[in-house]
Amino acid sequence: MKASLLLLQAGIAVLGAPLVSGFIRKVKNALRMRQGASLGQPYYNIAKYMAKEEVVSEATSWIFRWTPSIVLGSTVAALMFVPVFSFSLSAPGMGDVLTLFFLFSLGRFFLALAGLDTGSAFGGMGSSREMFIASFVEPVAILSVAVVAGHSASPQGGLMACSMGMSFSGMVAAAALFMVVLAETSRIPVDNQETHLELTMIHEAMLLEYSGPSLAMLETAAHTKQLIWFSLLGAILWPWPVGSSAALSDIAAAAAFFVLKIVLCAVIVGLTEVSLAKMRLFRVADFLGLAFLFSVLALVISGLGY
Amino acid sequence: MKIFSGVIEELRAQGVEILEVLESHPQEAVIRIKTEDFHRACLFMHKRLSSAVMAMFAADERKAKNAFEIFCVFLSREFQKWCILAADIPQDRPAFPSLARDIHSASFFEREIREMFGLEPEGHPDKRRLHLHDEVWPNGLFPLRKDFVVFGPVAPNGAAYCFNRVLGEGIFEVPVGPVHAGIIGPGHFRFSAAGEPIVNLEIRLGFTHRGVEKVFEHKTLDEAVRMAECVAGDTAFGHSWAFCQAIEKASALKVPARALYERAICLELERLYNHFAGIGGIALDVGFSFAAQFASVLKERVLRLNQRLTGSRYLKGVNRIGGVRRGFSRQDIQALLCEILSISGDHKELKQMLLTSVSFMDRVDETGVLRQKTARDLGVVGLAARASGVAMDLRKVFPDVYAGSDFRLITQERGDVLSRLRVRMEEVEESARLIIYFADRLADLAGAVAANFPLAAAGCALGAVEAWRGPVLYWVKVADGQVDRCKVVDPSFHNWPGLAFAVLGNIIPDFPVCNKSFDLSYAGNDL
Repeated sequence: MKASLLLLQAGIAVLGAPLVSGFIRKVKNALRMRQGASLGQPYYNIAKYMAKEEVVSEATSWIFRWTPSIVLGSTVAALMFVPVFSFSLSAPGMGDVLTLFFLFSLGRFFLALAGLDTGSAFGGMGSSREMFIASFVEPVAILSVAVVAGHSASPQGGLMACSMGMSFSGMVAAAALFMVVLAETSRIPVDNQETHLELTMIHEAMLLEYSGPSLAMLETAAHTKQLIWFSLLGAILWPWPVGSSAALSDIAAAAAFFVLKIVLCAVIVGLTEVSLAKMRLFRVADFLGLAFLFSVLALVISGLGY
Repeated sequence: MKIFSGVIEELRAQGVEILEVLESHPQEAVIRIKTEDFHRACLFMHKRLSSAVMAMFAADERKAKNAFEIFCVFLSREFQKWCILAADIPQDRPAFPSLARDIHSASFFEREIREMFGLEPEGHPDKRRLHLHDEVWPNGLFPLRKDFVVFGPVAPNGAAYCFNRVLGEGIFEVPVGPVHAGIIGPGHFRFSAAGEPIVNLEIRLGFTHRGVEKVFEHKTLDEAVRMAECVAGDTAFGHSWAFCQAIEKASALKVPARALYERAICLELERLYNHFAGIGGIALDVGFSFAAQFASVLKERVLRLNQRLTGSRYLKGVNRIGGVRRGFSRQDIQALLCEILSISGDHKELKQMLLTSVSFMDRVDETGVLRQKTARDLGVVGLAARASGVAMDLRKVFPDVYAGSDFRLITQERGDVLSRLRVRMEEVEESARLIIYFADRLADLAGAVAANFPLAAAGCALGAVEAWRGPVLYWVKVADGQVDRCKVVDPSFHNWPGLAFAVLGNIIPDFPVCNKSFDLSYAGNDL
């Protein structure tokens, strides 16, 4: 029963993830007095890529061909370790928060290799920038989630920690995590999803050589990863244990609460993106450095018992 | 006004034999000299007038006198005059000593003369072709010679283009273009980078070479006005005015005041919409999309105003030789005044939004610095030059219709992206003020909007207009009532080398915003 619910939850999350991206675009366009594309545009894009022929450079190796599966696979697997709809629905005994970040790192590692694999200048630039940013992102992510997990003294079984309720250190950790989320979901001020300028891209630059179904897989993975980060952030920011049992009615209540949290996250991200300019690449180090400071601060505060 | 003949005497004192001085128009002096004196005379004028080479071009006069003619145009701000040095190059020895080693601004013009006319600039350090790429064009075929006929495909000579290479540990090359992801013109950018910082940038253009100057030949003058509008799409009005001005000067035509005011209004409207596009473009390239959207709304409002006044969003079909096609009605002028006031109000808000945004200012401040000395040495013109502290604007040098308007020349000192942005913003304010001034004048005027004198069947003159990007020059020679030779110089041709210097030391992701702050035309450069 629980296993099938868990798989169902993952399926719904993957299917629903593109909607979040579409919603953020809608929010941004509304703020800019534009009509913009419909909510379903990310789905149309994926459907379009699926129907297209795939072109693969002869210069590439198996890394390029296998990367989309590895990235999508690791991202979907990561879904199992975060509290999506219900806190009770995370895989027990399979791993902890660290597993989540290692799964992300696995995807990132292969994506960076694939960017280099084609030998195109843009792919290499994208990979180098992605790794540069990852070196700031990972410590902050691990530290801030550890603070929250430490509160519950149980990093096991996903983020049970969140059910412990709000704490001051948790809020500071959430601030750090929010900055990381902007970086991890290729958002302004770190990256810009809307740009057509190859020279400024980070995440998109690594994907430039992909086409057809492979691109569809990578885009799906990116949408899913965004949802994972949002649900993690939501769980820390609003840690009220709505529907903490595995009963169906409780799960439904939890799902509704979850949707609300994601919408809030999306609106905040949309607002941030519209009101800021993108940072100069090397300024990102300062930005994420501040995030690291916050996460250390959260650790200290949590050590003091708040 | 000082007497220009003093300069000619100084030139003579340098040992240059002066064959003829032609001052058919008070703003233009053509000094005809011997071929062997050409190099020396150009160097002297360059220093004496402290002017870059504003244009340099050749003409095929083999039929009339068995020789090519070569012209070098300088601008004297002091004497408010275009000074054109002219010399013959005999066809049995098609070569001339290169100025490029002494005057950088001559370098690209000489390369152009070499590939278009087969005249060899002797001693030129870089003889690669600019527009006729080796990949598609054979050697020994010179399209601007009169005996060249347009025909089908030609066999390329197949040689590969050699980029300058930077060697060293950790240096890698990033080739970008000519096909880009956005809807922009084609240009190839070859970056040599050490990590992210740019060590060298080489720009290869010419992909939109259409043979504009060749197509101009044998066009009737009315057809040629329409052609001029199509040379660079974002400067349709500036180009057509410069062309008309050349013909009007050659025919000694007096353009009615009403037409001049309307032209000035259109030129400023063109500046407005392009400056809004530029401001929005800079904001967009640093990812500040809210302000970019705001600017694009303002641009659209100016375009609609253009449509209302002239029937064309991009101000095409407005100019004709001798004046403009139709006069603005009183209601039009009223609508113009209202809309301009409202637009400049909104512009203040946009300016405030950009200049107070910390994240935006962090991106543009100190980015892409073009130092004043570099700008002067390269012969950078127009908006980009003014942002680097070079106080040059044709509206100031030749006030003409701007004479009573108290025109304010706008400059900035630092030469970074922010300076180029500030120049745009202040020029928007100044343009709005000028439009209101001209519209006020226009409201009291009645009468013809075009002169109807007969046009000269033969003659030549230089037309020049300070369009939004910088000075647009047209040197036109008319024969039998048709265009015989038309040399077009778009400010982009002077400014592309400036961009290559401005980006040095910046990081690769900052290149797009540097590029946008210059906002140069591919079509106007490639011709």
